[in-house]
Amino acid sequence: MEFFDNLAIGFGVALTPANLGFAFLGAMVGTLIGVLPGIGPIATIAMLLPLTFHLEPLSGLIMLAGIFYGAQYGGSTTAILVNLPGETSSVMTCIDGHQMARQGRAGVALAVAAISSFFAGCISTALIAGFAPPLAKIGQSFGAPEYFSLMLLGLVAAVVLAHGSILKAVAMIVLGLLVGLVGTDGNTGGTRFTFDIRELIDGIDVATLAIGLFGVGEVISNLSRPEEQRSVIAQKITRLWPTGDDFRRSWRAVLRGTALGSILGVLPGGGATLSSFAAYALEKKVSREPSRFGRGAVEGVAAPESANNAGAQTSFIPMLTLGIPGNAVMALMIGALTIHGIQPGPQIMSERPQLFWGMVASMWVGNLMLVIINLPLIGIWVQLLKVPYRFLYLAILLFCAIGVYTVNNSSAAVLLAAFFGVVGFILMKLDCEPAPMILGFVLGPLMEENLRRAMKIASGDPMIFVQRPISLGLLIAAALLLLIVALPAIRGKREEVFQG
Amino acid sequence: MKRLTLMLLSGFALAIGGTAVAQDKYPSKPVKIVVPYAPGGGTDITARIFGDQLKNGLGQQFVVENKPGAFGILAVEEMARSRPDGYTLMIGNVSTNAITPVLFKNKFKIDFEKDVVSVARLNIYPSFLIVTNTNFDVKDVKDLMTQAKTNPGKIRYTSAGIGSFPHFDMEIFARRAGIEMNHIPNKTGAAGMLNDLVVGDAQVAFLNSASSAAMIKAGKLKPLAVVAEQRVPGYPDVPTMAEAGFKGVGTLHWQSMLAPAATPRPVIDTLFKAVVEASKQPALKEAFDKQLVSLKISESPDEAKTWLKGELDAWRKITSEVKIELAE
Repeated sequence: MEFFDNLAIGFGVALTPANLGFAFLGAMVGTLIGVLPGIGPIATIAMLLPLTFHLEPLSGLIMLAGIFYGAQYGGSTTAILVNLPGETSSVMTCIDGHQMARQGRAGVALAVAAISSFFAGCISTALIAGFAPPLAKIGQSFGAPEYFSLMLLGLVAAVVLAHGSILKAVAMIVLGLLVGLVGTDGNTGGTRFTFDIRELIDGIDVATLAIGLFGVGEVISNLSRPEEQRSVIAQKITRLWPTGDDFRRSWRAVLRGTALGSILGVLPGGGATLSSFAAYALEKKVSREPSRFGRGAVEGVAAPESANNAGAQTSFIPMLTLGIPGNAVMALMIGALTIHGIQPGPQIMSERPQLFWGMVASMWVGNLMLVIINLPLIGIWVQLLKVPYRFLYLAILLFCAIGVYTVNNSSAAVLLAAFFGVVGFILMKLDCEPAPMILGFVLGPLMEENLRRAMKIASGDPMIFVQRPISLGLLIAAALLLLIVALPAIRGKREEVFQG
Repeated sequence: MKRLTLMLLSGFALAIGGTAVAQDKYPSKPVKIVVPYAPGGGTDITARIFGDQLKNGLGQQFVVENKPGAFGILAVEEMARSRPDGYTLMIGNVSTNAITPVLFKNKFKIDFEKDVVSVARLNIYPSFLIVTNTNFDVKDVKDLMTQAKTNPGKIRYTSAGIGSFPHFDMEIFARRAGIEMNHIPNKTGAAGMLNDLVVGDAQVAFLNSASSAAMIKAGKLKPLAVVAEQRVPGYPDVPTMAEAGFKGVGTLHWQSMLAPAATPRPVIDTLFKAVVEASKQPALKEAFDKQLVSLKISESPDEAKTWLKGELDAWRKITSEVKIELAE
């Protein structure tokens, strides 16, 4: 009963005309920003932050949150259309989404992305409303040993991601780990592989790497083909709306993706990014026809899209209930609240029920608005693909450059993205997948850091990883997964799984 | 994006204002404030709050440009190397504008002390010597010392990274107290430190009051002493470090506005006056009060200059006494 009372409070404030207006404004701006590759929600929210000084705290928060989801939505649009992940979390959407676009099914992919995101948004909003405090507890039980084991599981899962040779997948993960080493070592303050370039002291930003490998790499690869094969829509656009078959294939993927995303989103750090990788890997693992993945499988779009949206919603939990930001966007939200003298923390639900429940209700409102904004736009986005590639690629490169630049206002980052573009092209020529490399890049540094921390905490006793129950569970899961991949007895089956 | 807007706006201002006006009266076009961090943190928020008020006072936009990286060196250099006309400023803090110039002097391509001038100190963030309540029970500073002495090297403390001021502060505290603790650095800063304490990866830290307030209220963290000149409002029972027997231990975390050294004096004076005016605005005061931050504007631009020199000297002394090894 309390659940409904709380939601009533929430909708009471979220549905006022002013707050509806701010939700719409945020969702609209976010979508537009997200569609411009690389220009992420952080730069946008930062620019609009002073505006919120003069607004009611809740209205400001609703608008900023709208930008966040909107950008996430928009990010998958470019991932599907031009193989350019607007956000790290849409890296996985590139793989099958862009293949669908190449087969003339861009509209279907966009619609599936929008619908799966909306569904995941509804479920995770309900989850937050019902279980925010226990979900926050999960986050609080994750210390260094638990993180290490989770990252290990993630890396093992990354091997499953590859649809070519397993050797190449492992090589790409290791390459990603190596690139992740660049920067300052947190435990000693020493710099690694920075070559005295000061822009590298803090390491390489994941947006720079992803935009380079995927976006710029794809452009070079397209330009290297004869002109008639370049166009993204090699095939005629067949239809815009998913078929019954598409829905039948994707509903389970959406459910699993939502569940994974909701849980992993609660974890600070790599949680939200990990969720889209994990959802994709899981779908491929349970699929009866894994060979379809990487060739335009609709599940390959539905799973990561629902996971990243669910993760984006639940990442509000540690921010609101603990005051601990899980990612850069949440740090900005805390900034916006502190200006109003609001300290997010365990008391926020009892002290400011209107703010908390209003925020939760507005998540659902924001998601609904995104569907309303985005479904009619699908037709327009798909038309964009008719622009001749000789014009389109220039626009793509320009936006890549702007996007990478705005992350840190750094021109060095633009040069780095260009470098990774060449790397991405070479990898494509060698049939190496960039996705495991990104995962290795994201997880590697977190894994190293938490391994060393855990060892320090335990005074060098490795038993800490099996003494903690959550850590032990994750390690067992990793071992099982490894067994499945490595056992010679099922090797024949694995080959079949990875034939792609 | 922001720079683009700035360029467009300034181009527009020049076009309508003409160059004569631009030379006469400062400011005649938008002013850029470089911030050495990603958006959302304390220094960024300070820059935005002040920028918002300065816009009202001086009638021009103050646009924040976030330029994180290399311990603040990139931001400092961008500001110091820009044209010294008052249209590029920086808002930095004790880490980026006192510790970094001392600790990483050889990484700079400019001479920090010659090329940068402080316009005004703005404010001071108090921080707490704080402990977690997660599997840890310490009553006060004395109790912490006793427990650390019975278990040398077993108590873990977190900091914002090797060579950060919470690291120096804790090393100095441990040295004065005659105890030994285990350092678990967290390069993600205050947010990461807060998480370390709440999950129990670390048990002790020097953490700013704004970040820790909600967790203190929830009973997850316990402040033992405050790094400030006086006790802070809302925490009447928490002694200052001096009252707890550790006078001079702990960094007063300040933020200040800086400019290229060659900036003309009239421009600096205009800015200084505008900062003083801004600090009197109720909206600004309220925003800082709520974060327990005390406004401490320098008395004059000259005082700001001597004060920054004093800070640099103090950090030279600290870093030569407390040797923190930075692996190369």
